[in-house]
Amino acid sequence: MIDALLQPLQSEFMLKAIGVSALIGLTCAALSCFVTLKGWSLMGDALSHAVVPGVAIAYAAKLPFALGAFASGMLAAGVMGFVKDRTRLREDAVIGIVFTTFFALGVLLISLYPSNINLKTIVFGNILGIADADIVQVLIISAVTLAVLAFKWKDLVIFLFDPSHARAVGLPTRFLHALLLTLLAATAVASLQAVGACLVVAMLVTPGATAYLLTDRFGAMMLIAMTVGTLTAAVGAYASYFLNGSTGGCIVVLQTGVFAVTLAVAPKHGLITAHRSRVVAGRAAPALSGGAA
Amino acid sequence: MASSLRTNPANTPPPPPSPAIDVRGVTVAYTNGHVALRDATFSLDGGTICGLVGVNGSGKSTLFKAIMGFVKPAAGSVRINGQPVGAAHKKASVAYVPQSEDVDWAFPVSVWDVVLMGRYGAMNLLRIPRQSDKRLAAEALEQVGVADLRSRQIGELSGGQRKRVFLARALAQQAKIILLDEPFTGVDVQTEEAIIALLDRMRDQGCTMLVSTHNLGSVPRFCDRVVIINRTVVAAGPTATTFTRDNLALAFGGALRRLRVDHTDVPGATSHELTVLTDDEGALILGDDGLPPPRTTPDRPAPTAPPGAGA
Repeated sequence: MIDALLQPLQSEFMLKAIGVSALIGLTCAALSCFVTLKGWSLMGDALSHAVVPGVAIAYAAKLPFALGAFASGMLAAGVMGFVKDRTRLREDAVIGIVFTTFFALGVLLISLYPSNINLKTIVFGNILGIADADIVQVLIISAVTLAVLAFKWKDLVIFLFDPSHARAVGLPTRFLHALLLTLLAATAVASLQAVGACLVVAMLVTPGATAYLLTDRFGAMMLIAMTVGTLTAAVGAYASYFLNGSTGGCIVVLQTGVFAVTLAVAPKHGLITAHRSRVVAGRAAPALSGGAA
Repeated sequence: MASSLRTNPANTPPPPPSPAIDVRGVTVAYTNGHVALRDATFSLDGGTICGLVGVNGSGKSTLFKAIMGFVKPAAGSVRINGQPVGAAHKKASVAYVPQSEDVDWAFPVSVWDVVLMGRYGAMNLLRIPRQSDKRLAAEALEQVGVADLRSRQIGELSGGQRKRVFLARALAQQAKIILLDEPFTGVDVQTEEAIIALLDRMRDQGCTMLVSTHNLGSVPRFCDRVVIINRTVVAAGPTATTFTRDNLALAFGGALRRLRVDHTDVPGATSHELTVLTDDEGALILGDDGLPPPRTTPDRPAPTAPPGAGA
């Protein structure tokens, strides 16, 4: 029994898969707190799809995939900002148009110029088949993202909470906005390998959303999100070995499971608590109206 | 370097102090072509409470955005203590107290977190508060009377307490210029009195405050000066001579509900006619000369703590 449970840990590719997944889970979770509070879920989804044409071009040109993906993501963000500022369209319409266009372009490029990547890898991820060179890129992106967050998280929190005050105490708000967008694009690129373009957004939202239900302090929210994100990613990758199923699917289903349980039982912001207080209020109300009648 | 700075201090007389806020010919146009503010000009000296009144859409928030540097004027200039806005904000010279509806009250921060944010400009790169930062934040909380709420999440506070927390943040920032966006909206009379008492104390310490408000009735009570805007500055000056029926009529036009009360309806009234002007909130009552009542100091509770009292 124990031998069977330890079996995945004896193969090198499984160890790599679990380790890389955990690192990506950690990085995404750290950023997910900012994404949740800024209301950038759709933006995360958009960027993770918009990196695809860059990946296709990078592989064709034999460049590091992260480079192409990142350039493509930032270009998409730039186009979104440009169109939004100059039209009366709402932001979600602009994002919807731009990211689907980029994604379509990526799908087209890959189908026209098949190389050693296939569409399935980009869209659904393939952590079990991750190349060492790609692991290095994931390591660099994660390390830089986590380091930047460690140094700048307080500034970013003020920027999210109250941009006017951020400006008033001398923080560079435009830079912070660009920084957050850059980190989001970089993290989307890193997670591409683990869960694929379609599911990246789950890793960039769910851990932060879960933590937000459990605490009223940002620091605690970060710690909870990073713990949940790391554990679910590692356990999801490990479980996918036994299920012989998609790693990305396992990780995201696990994260959603944790979220669902939290949503139900969270002490202060959970559904059960909300239901209880409604029942209590309901019991009190008839007594009051009865007294008045 | 140092010695050349010290040479001939006696020969050059110190320049006259620059106005705290100097808005000169400011025009702001948004990218969709809408001109929110045209050729707005006024200036405020130190130690002033100035009311900013005008209908919704008259450019009050645009003016605040221009002073905060969020929009760049297409023409004209905003200077703070004689400096361009960018330089002034780097020194954290201006504090901003936002409108309640602009704040995300579900954000995971406590009262203490918010007040400490006032000190961020003075902290090191990692934003680790020093003892002095914590002391200033604690004093600010004491001054506005919410020290006992410091560990609450901000959404758990009442409307008046929420306002006090953001005022405490402005106090902790120690800025000499404070912009307040609708500070009296949704607060009870007691909080309004407490806010006005606090503004008075800060004015006496040399602070300059620009207060946007729909509460016309309170303006003569706490504002030394007033700026009346309607897509431009309609009138600016001392409240007694500027906050008049004629000027308000220019800015508000048909938007103000104006009720005429004949003196026969008001037993003992000496004036022939009263004008009651209201812009959603506290009404302004003018006599038949069309001038605001003189600035009075109604019976206010004495300040709970002397300003700047140390720990």
